Amino acid sequence: MRHPLRVLALACALTFTPACASLQLGQTRIENPVAAAQTIDQRAYALLHAYAAIVEEATDIVADPATPLAFKRALGQAERAATPAAETLHVAATAYMRARADFDAASGASQTSIQRTATALAIAARRLNEAVAAAQAPIAELEGLVRAHRG
Amino acid sequence: MLNLLLQLQLLLAALSAFLPLVPEEYRVRAGEILDVVAKVLSAGGSIASNVDDLAVKLAAIRAEVEAMAAAGRAVSEEQLDAAMVRVRAASAAFREARQTAEAG
Repeated sequence: MRHPLRVLALACALTFTPACASLQLGQTRIENPVAAAQTIDQRAYALLHAYAAIVEEATDIVADPATPLAFKRALGQAERAATPAAETLHVAATAYMRARADFDAASGASQTSIQRTATALAIAARRLNEAVAAAQAPIAELEGLVRAHRG
Repeated sequence: MLNLLLQLQLLLAALSAFLPLVPEEYRVRAGEILDVVAKVLSAGGSIASNVDDLAVKLAAIRAEVEAMAAAGRAVSEEQLDAAMVRVRAASAAFREARQTAEAG
């Protein structure tokens, strides 16, 4: 090869151009589905789906033989912390939806019944808010690792 | 982006077909250059598709949530359960891939 530097420069340009272009800096390239939610149940739903997408991505990284073992372990640790938080979030969201359905059903019932279901709904909403807040940090940690790996 | 890469790869394949027409003294060098270009296009495509993959998935989720919010629609229990099924499937696949990686 007579011009190895030229070939190397061409190789670098061709390798990095598509990867850089795909980032589309200056635009909202990496979407945040949770930010689009307007209600607490939508927020829980968006967070669960986004977490699933992040774990799917982490699976590809772990399956890549080029990924260092220490990084795979860090991903494993983050996933072990985040998945139970997602389970708790699911339980809290289900409880909230049932409390909301009970409240809706009690609209024509006695004042005592409405009061009771309203209290149950307020408690379920508070627990769901807490579950969303508790899940966000471990999920963000796994997401951060995935993004760091992707550069 | 991936379409552009595919087009470049097709162009490369077409250029390779003309390799026998290149004067013999340059043919080996031209072949080497085309080979290097093919390899780096493949590597660049892999990086781009991985970045695209997560962004596309997150954008799809956001679009669904935006539509829900715009319609003032509440999430149903079935939708929530489906999201959790996806989480569990992803988690199981992740743990299996990790075990395989640790074993290998």
